[in-house]
Amino acid sequence: MEQVLKVEKLEGGWDELLVLNDVNLEVRKGEVLAIVGKSGCGKSTLMHYLLGLLKPWKGRVIFKGSDIWSSPEALQRARSKWGVTFQSGALLGNLTLLENVMLPLKEYTDLSERDLRIVAYSKLDTVDLADFADSNPLEVSGGMQKRAGLARAMALDPEVLFFDEPSAGLDPVTSGSLDELIITINSTLGTTVVIVTHELASIFAISDRVVMLDPDEHGIIAVGTAAELRDHSSDERVRLFFGRNLAAKKRSDRKCR
Amino acid sequence: MANPDKLVYSGFTLSVHGVLEDNEIDSIRDFVDEHKRSIFDAGKLILDFSDSPGIDTVPAVVLYGFCKELSRAGVKVSRNGASDVIESLFKTLAKFDASPEPGKRKLSIHSHFELLGENVYEFGKTLSELGHFMGETLSAFAGLVLHPLKIRWPMVLYYMEESGFKAIPIVAVLPWLLGVVLGYQAGYQMRVFGAETFMPALIGYSITWEIGPMLAAVLVAGRSGSAYAAEIGTMQVREEVDALRVMGFDIFSYLVTPKMIALLCVMPFLVLLANLAGIFGGLLAGSMFLDLSPGTFISELGKALIPLDILWGMLKSVVYAVIIANVGSYMGMKVRGGAAAVGKATTAAVVLSIFMVIIADALLSLLFIHIRPGLSM
Repeated sequence: MEQVLKVEKLEGGWDELLVLNDVNLEVRKGEVLAIVGKSGCGKSTLMHYLLGLLKPWKGRVIFKGSDIWSSPEALQRARSKWGVTFQSGALLGNLTLLENVMLPLKEYTDLSERDLRIVAYSKLDTVDLADFADSNPLEVSGGMQKRAGLARAMALDPEVLFFDEPSAGLDPVTSGSLDELIITINSTLGTTVVIVTHELASIFAISDRVVMLDPDEHGIIAVGTAAELRDHSSDERVRLFFGRNLAAKKRSDRKCR
Repeated sequence: MANPDKLVYSGFTLSVHGVLEDNEIDSIRDFVDEHKRSIFDAGKLILDFSDSPGIDTVPAVVLYGFCKELSRAGVKVSRNGASDVIESLFKTLAKFDASPEPGKRKLSIHSHFELLGENVYEFGKTLSELGHFMGETLSAFAGLVLHPLKIRWPMVLYYMEESGFKAIPIVAVLPWLLGVVLGYQAGYQMRVFGAETFMPALIGYSITWEIGPMLAAVLVAGRSGSAYAAEIGTMQVREEVDALRVMGFDIFSYLVTPKMIALLCVMPFLVLLANLAGIFGGLLAGSMFLDLSPGTFISELGKALIPLDILWGMLKSVVYAVIIANVGSYMGMKVRGGAAAVGKATTAAVVLSIFMVIIADALLSLLFIHIRPGLSM
């Protein structure tokens, strides 16, 4: 299967603190890849490296065959093919939702102001926010902020969409509808999705493959589908992570009886 | 008063009945104080928990402390009939009692030097990072000068209003007051020697060379440098800066240069305003306290000042503008974590920018001595 993004022998962290050591990872075209693990295992750090926000101490991050750190142009080229939804939405507070979605369009295209607005409106419409186009990010709910962030991430029809903990701070219904949106985008547009999360429900609902990190190993301890990892992993830590789900299942089974 | 139902002391035994709760510690203390004497005299105490299913942590600490005090005084203390819960509670208390108190750093000359060295190292690191940051900003600025249409003019105008226009009242009033004070005090001293006609020259030189530009810079650093740090710091906390970078924006062109350009545009005029206000203050002081008519003041001033004096202050302010915008933005960019870090960044931005403005001023003054006619000794 064709790979879009590849990490080779990545080593890195914050300041002097080593978080990731010898991490190898590939993201395949069209898949939904979940990066999971308990708090502090380096999920968000890995995301920062995938996005080129941090420069690796060692190793390479390769997007479609070229190292993103080989030149500023390579990084810029890669970024123009990516869309990112941050944990908090990360919308610019001094702009309206519509202007936020217009930002990347302005940077990368030479459309007229009118066309920019039309595209931005249509993107907001896909996340069902067209009615709130002129609201300030701080005036809408957390779920709406994230959806607006998603609209902005999709503004340039990216090849890869990144999500940093999309369900953090959201109620199950809202995060469920966000999951549905992600699946729809993935299946209708063929967009590759990389998602950092620790929501088991989300992991089982949307991911094709799961990569699990562990803080003690400073890296990846398991790769596979969610069901494989849950049912067949020989690693205690992996079973423990997915086990919470088992406990919940047992309990609901018992209640059903 | 001690709760007679829950604590009973008889023989060598203090027996606990029922559950001791957090809000009962006063009565427990009273009870303990009441019987302390007789327990010491007995030389032996058995804490009997056989009628207690468990006790809260706060009363346990009180009892634990009492037992410790007793055993230090040579009284033999033992527990009887304690359930597993109570036993493990006391064990936990003993464990953390044994661990040394944290936080109290041993102060010695050695550690003072270590701390000093660390601070100096950190400061040096900050300065070198700041230098790098300024380099990035200036190169982004140079790029924008070649393509002026790419500058975010609406933001520039916004910052010009915020940092320039809105600063006018304070930048006019403070130097004016300082001019009055300076004029009065200097004139008073000079009159003793009959030299009060030189007061206008003194005011002119001190205001235009130093006080005007410096005061304007300090005020702008306090008002706007901190605001820039807070603004970018908040964006950093809300991941907005990361989002901009991922979208491919050059954060220096997008966030920093509009602030710098705005300050470059307004600072010279703020300095000019500060100069005029300060001189006007001196003029007022002269005519009110020293019988120096405004006409005399202005003609004396005209003999002393040359256009370069005013111009130099405005030129210096260009350097200050670069410093204040960059230090504010740099401190904001360095924010990691939450809201507390933003607060620290704003403080650090003001302190460091004033510090650097003064250093720059000292260096520029050295230069000025060689440039201005009639100054070299």
